[in-house]
Amino acid sequence: MTNHPDQEGMKIRRFSRGRIVEHALAIVVVGILVMTGLSQKFYTIDFSQWLILKLGGIDNVRWLHRCAGMVFLMLIVVHIFVAMVGIVARRWQPSMMINKNDFTNAIHNLKYYVGLEKAPAQFDRYDFKQKFEYWGILVGAFLMIFSGLILWFPIQATRFLPGEFVPAAKVLHTHQATLIFILIAIWHIYSAIFSPDVFPLDTSIFTGMIPRRRMELEHPLEFARMHEGGARADVSRSP
Amino acid sequence: MMKQSVLSFMVFLLGMMFFAWDRVSAENAASIEDAGKCLECHAQRGVVKKFENGESVEAYIDPEKFGSSVHHALACPTCHQDFSEDHHPVRRFRSKNQFRIQSTLICRQCHKDEEIRKKSIHANLFQQEQQGEVPLCTDCHTAHAVAAISGGRLTANEMQYCLSCHQHSMKLPFNDGSGIPLMVDRSELSASAHSKLDCSDCHYGFSSEEHPQRNFKTRRDYSIASADSCRRCHFDKYTQTLESICHTKQSQGNLNTPICTDCHGSHAIAYVRIEKNFSILRCRKCHPDIYDTYAKSVHGKALFNEENRDVPVCIDCHKVHNIKNPLTLEFHERIPEMCSNCHANKAIMGKYGLSTDVVKSYLSDFHGMTLGLYKKQREALSKPARPIAVCTDCHGIHNISSTHDMPAAVVKENLLKRCQKCHHDATEKFQDAWLSHYKPSLSRAPLVFLVDLGYKIFLPILLVGLFLQILLHIWRYAVNR
Repeated sequence: MTNHPDQEGMKIRRFSRGRIVEHALAIVVVGILVMTGLSQKFYTIDFSQWLILKLGGIDNVRWLHRCAGMVFLMLIVVHIFVAMVGIVARRWQPSMMINKNDFTNAIHNLKYYVGLEKAPAQFDRYDFKQKFEYWGILVGAFLMIFSGLILWFPIQATRFLPGEFVPAAKVLHTHQATLIFILIAIWHIYSAIFSPDVFPLDTSIFTGMIPRRRMELEHPLEFARMHEGGARADVSRSP
Repeated sequence: MMKQSVLSFMVFLLGMMFFAWDRVSAENAASIEDAGKCLECHAQRGVVKKFENGESVEAYIDPEKFGSSVHHALACPTCHQDFSEDHHPVRRFRSKNQFRIQSTLICRQCHKDEEIRKKSIHANLFQQEQQGEVPLCTDCHTAHAVAAISGGRLTANEMQYCLSCHQHSMKLPFNDGSGIPLMVDRSELSASAHSKLDCSDCHYGFSSEEHPQRNFKTRRDYSIASADSCRRCHFDKYTQTLESICHTKQSQGNLNTPICTDCHGSHAIAYVRIEKNFSILRCRKCHPDIYDTYAKSVHGKALFNEENRDVPVCIDCHKVHNIKNPLTLEFHERIPEMCSNCHANKAIMGKYGLSTDVVKSYLSDFHGMTLGLYKKQREALSKPARPIAVCTDCHGIHNISSTHDMPAAVVKENLLKRCQKCHHDATEKFQDAWLSHYKPSLSRAPLVFLVDLGYKIFLPILLVGLFLQILLHIWRYAVNR
């Protein structure tokens, strides 16, 4: 199935089917969460009210938001479970882990952008932008799920937690949603769609394949490693 | 033979007509001629008759008015019998009133009592006469300018005309034995909002020639029928009352529900807005319990003890004419709006050191937001909605009391009970989820405050950082090309 990486103009497998399905589900679920969530946050504006009425009222919107939230929660649980099993049992490389290199790479790239370095930093499977975005969203997801459950079940939550946690959860939920929305709407959309490197769309997460040329350019360390050991199936399966 | 008799009959008719014509013209000539002589003096201003008590009356006659009066064909001596061209006796009267009593007797020489009695409007006059009060014809009909009975109002001053009877104590009896005094206080009328109206503007169907006798079972029946007059001018208010719960109750047979005159009064009608307590007292008649509760509330105390004009009274929340059933969901939903009329008004709240944020903090929280959306979706989707806690659910309705005067523990205890009405398993900690209208701060709800502050600092930094990163990336790309 995978083409040999040595051939020019060929594509290299970057993501397994599991990751593709996971990403597609995330688009749908996060899309629903953002639409139903934002219309609750900004409920006074016309579009929100139009959407709320179209969906059959605020109770329906809340129900939909919570259902989508449950699917999102399951996505996260499955994702972590797969990653744990993969790393522990199948010896995947924990390629998403942030290390010292990511910070030096970030500074290096900043210098490169302003002209203080001649070449950009060399990246492995994920560059520092992707890693920061990933962890931003993953940590954010935990905060969203935690605060969302408090807001969904305030009576049960206040059996264990002080009452003040409820309004605090509301503030946290709304701000963290904004944060995730900014990360996705600005950074992720830029780097996956509008960035001159990938425009009009980085299709690798939909097809699972990445052009060899881009692989060499954007992930030279991983490409070099693949080159040494040939096309290894387990590389493409790591999260 | 036949022809002859017809001819002679026609001659007879002609003769009769001529005779009649001659008589009328001769009479007219006599009166005008006669009057002409009298008018030589009496059409002049300044001829005055003095009475013994110092009162006087101007003996002036307006020839034009007399000419158009019903008595224009009468010669002066027909009424002023002792007077003629060469006989002008000096008569002495104690007072103007005595003079007018004498004049009235002259009227009654031609207008016999039986004749006068036929008009129901005169019925009371005879009653008065028996009690020693002499009615004066000229009070209503005037003397020389007396107009034709069949033609409109008799007097220029209708009020004076009506009051000539209605200033006396009379009574309109009802079938149940009760009655209503018919005496009208002139000072009340002139001080009322309707001072410029004529009597018949409200009491339509009544005039100098029409004074229908009406039968009512009870005084209340009479009042309800009378209040119908108001709608002739105040139709907007009338249509509003049709939507009110009081009107519904009335059409179901409850005659005690308020009618216009109950609150506004009848002849002493005033601008009710001036007097805040007035409407409360009318409401109290049917709702005494609520009145007592209100009087003990923070609003009621301020009104009754301090004569505070800022506090709401019944009609401020329940409206005036279109009082709706307050037990409906629609009414319940409007309560935050009612409270915010004052509690979101900085000018009013500033006087008492109260925060205007209470409405905002309610509306931006779960209950306020849900309430607003429920209202919208009921209008748009006609979807039934659950009741959502509004101001009155925690603060009370008619018994609203200041939370500042209550110990905090009592406030909390009451709040928990209120929460549990909808959130059955709510614990003591649950009620702390509601920040009691307070804005989060370090001293109040520090956790909420810090989370909010943290994000408010971090989010703009993140936003700017991401944009800078993107701009630098594009710039480098452009430079490299």
